[in-house]
Amino acid sequence: MQPRRPPPPAPGPPRPAAPLLALPLLLLAVQGAAAPTGPEAAEWRPDTGPPHGLLRQAARAALHFLNFRAGSPSALRVLAAVQEGRARINAKKECTVDLVFTTEHYNSEEGEERLGKCSARVFFRNQKPRPAVNVTCARLMEKTKRQQEDYRLYKQMKQLRNPLDGVSIPDSHGHIDPSLRPVWELAFLGSSYVMWEKTTRFLHYYMAQLSGVKQWETNDGAIDFDYTVLLHEFSTQEIIPCRIHLVWSPGKPLTVKYHCQELLAPEDASGTEEGSAVAPTELSNF
Amino acid sequence: MQRLLILSVLLGAVLGKEDFVGHQVLRISVADEAQVQKVKELEDLEHLQLDFWRGPAQPGSPIDVRVPFPSIQAVKIFLEAHGIEYTIMIEDVQSLLDEEQEQMLAFQARASSTDNFNYATYHSLEEIYDFIDLLVAENPKLVSKLQIGSSYEGRPLYVLKFSTGGKNRPAIWIDTGIHSREWVTQASGVWFAKKIVQDYGRDPAITAVLDSLDIFLEIVTNPDGFAYTHSTNRLWRKTRSHTSGSLCVGADPNRNWDAGFGLAGASSSPCSETYHGKSANSEVEVKSIVDFVKDHGNIKAFISIHSYSQLLLYPYGYKKAAVADQKELDEVAKSAVAALTSLYGTKFQYGSIYTTIYQASGSSIDWAYNQGIKYSFSFELRDTGRNGFLLPASQIIPTAEETWLALQTILEYTLNHPY
Repeated sequence: MQPRRPPPPAPGPPRPAAPLLALPLLLLAVQGAAAPTGPEAAEWRPDTGPPHGLLRQAARAALHFLNFRAGSPSALRVLAAVQEGRARINAKKECTVDLVFTTEHYNSEEGEERLGKCSARVFFRNQKPRPAVNVTCARLMEKTKRQQEDYRLYKQMKQLRNPLDGVSIPDSHGHIDPSLRPVWELAFLGSSYVMWEKTTRFLHYYMAQLSGVKQWETNDGAIDFDYTVLLHEFSTQEIIPCRIHLVWSPGKPLTVKYHCQELLAPEDASGTEEGSAVAPTELSNF
Repeated sequence: MQRLLILSVLLGAVLGKEDFVGHQVLRISVADEAQVQKVKELEDLEHLQLDFWRGPAQPGSPIDVRVPFPSIQAVKIFLEAHGIEYTIMIEDVQSLLDEEQEQMLAFQARASSTDNFNYATYHSLEEIYDFIDLLVAENPKLVSKLQIGSSYEGRPLYVLKFSTGGKNRPAIWIDTGIHSREWVTQASGVWFAKKIVQDYGRDPAITAVLDSLDIFLEIVTNPDGFAYTHSTNRLWRKTRSHTSGSLCVGADPNRNWDAGFGLAGASSSPCSETYHGKSANSEVEVKSIVDFVKDHGNIKAFISIHSYSQLLLYPYGYKKAAVADQKELDEVAKSAVAALTSLYGTKFQYGSIYTTIYQASGSSIDWAYNQGIKYSFSFELRDTGRNGFLLPASQIIPTAEETWLALQTILEYTLNHPY
C-alpha cells in the first residue's frame, strides 16, 4: 500500500552511511524519459526521499518477478526491509524506482533469518500493470542445495495423491499440512508471475489461499499443475480468483498460463484477464 | 443401541489398544433354524476372531457380528454359499470410531472456565460468546456484558465492560473483528479480555488504569460476517446486509462511519469490498457503536483493531490534512510501537491512515476523532502478507501479547493525560 501524495517525514529504517551504488548517474540517463525538470521531478524532495510506500511497492514487484524468473519453488523470497531508494517521475507520470532491499526465505521458520540483499530498478508506466523490472540479488541459497530442494519437492509432488478435491491450502486456521507444502510452494511460484503482471503503481497483491487444485500430471517428467488461487489486492481489498496452469520441472524454465476473474458483480462473466509466459533464461534488461 | 455398542467397542479399543481398520459389522438375517445353526458354526471358528454383538438366537432375530478385516472374505463367501442374507451395517469400524473420538474430544474441549479455554486456536462465534459468559461469571465485580444492539441477521452485539466502579467514568473503547476475515483480531480480543482480569490487582499499570477508567471491549464487532467466514467464505470482510437493487451482499463497516462518508476512499458499488453502504451508519453494527459512544459521552480513547500489515494508524483517512493533534498522536504511536516491537522484534510502521496505508473514507477512528475523542487509533496486526488473513493459529498468542504492550501504552497515556 502506498500513499498517493508525499507524506510528512515518515519513520523508516535508518539510512546507511555508505553511498548508494552508482545509481545517481543512471538516474540522469533513463532511456526515453525527459531530463528532470519542473514540478514532476521535484515531487520528492531529496532530503525526505520518495514515499516509503512507493519503495515497498517497487520491492514487491521486483520480488514477484524475481521469484518467477528464478523458477525455483524451494528458493522463494519475501521482502524483509527496504534499505534505501530513490524515485523519479516524468511528465508522462511514468515512475522509475531504484532501490536496495533485503529478502528472506519464504519458507523460513520463525527465527531463521538469512537476509539476501537485492538491488533493483522498477519502472511503472503510470497506472498500467506489468512493471519493467531489472533485479539482482545476492544468492540466498547455495545453488546445489537449491537444486536438491527443488528435486525433493518435485518427488514429493509426484508422490501425492491427486486430485486434491475440495482442499483449501492453508485451511481456515492458517495451517498447511507438511505433506501439502510442496503444492503450496509450487502454486506460489506460478502466482508470482500473475502477481507481477498485475502489479501497478498502486495495486499490489498477496496470495491469500489456494482454493482448488484441479489436477496435476507428470508427463515427460514435468509437473503439469492446474489450480485456482485467491489473490488479495491490498488497496481495493478485493479477493480475485485466478485459474493458473503451470508446467514445471526442476532446472527448467517455468511456463504459466492464467485467467483471473475481474471485478465485482456476482453474475460477472466478463472482464477476465488472461496471460501467459515462459520464464526467460536470460536476465532481462529494460 | 448402536451408540452404546460403539462406545463399548471404543472402551475396548482404549483399554486393549486394538485397531479396527477395515473391520465391518454385518447384520445377518437367518431364515430358519438350519441357518441359525450354520451361523453358530461360524461362531465356533476361533481363528476368524468374530465378535458377536448380537448372537445367533432364533430365525427372525438379526445377528450382528463384527468381522475383522482378514476374515471378511471368508465369512461373506460362507454366508453366500449357504444362502444366508446379510447387510453391511458398518463399512469400516475404525472410521466410525475416529469420528466419535473427534466428537467426544470436541465436546470435552468446550472450556468449562476461562482458565482451560484454548487461546492458541481460532474459535467459532458460539465459543467466543460462551467465553464471554464464563469471564463475566468468574469476575462479576470487574466484568459485565452489555448488549448494544443486534446485527443485521439478528445476532446480539456484545460489549464487555471492565469497571471497578464509579459512575460513567472516562472510558476507553476497543473493537476487534469489524472485518470478519481478520481472525487474529477477534482471537486477540479474547486474549485481551482474559489478560485484563488476570492483571487487575497484580500489574500496577493496568490496575491504575482500571481504578480510574473503564474499558469497553467489543470482541466480535461483525458477528454476521464472522459466522459467514466459518460457514461459507473464510475471506468475507463486510457485513451481511442486503442492498436493494443488487445481488451483492454487505457493506464495508469501516467505510460506513460519518466522517467523509462517500468521499474518495470507499466504493459506491455494492459488490465492492469497500462499499460504503447506502448512507452513513446504515449498517446496524456501526450504528450501535455510534449510539453507545454518544450516549456514554465520556469515551476518551477509541481503538479499532484490524489485520494485516503491521501498522499503527491515527486519523485522518478520508483526507490528507493532518489532525490538530497530529504531533501528539504521532508521539503516542511511536512509543506504543516501540513497546510492541520490544517483545518479539515485530516491526510496525505508524502514521496517519491517509499517508501510511491508503485513502479511506468513512472509517471509525476518523469519526471518533471528530467526535472529540482525541486518542483514536487503528491497528493492523500481523503479518505483512506471507500469511495475511490466514495467520497460523500458533501466532495468535505472540500477536496478542505484543499488541497488548502497545495498547497498554495508549491506556496509560490516556490515564495520564486527561482532557
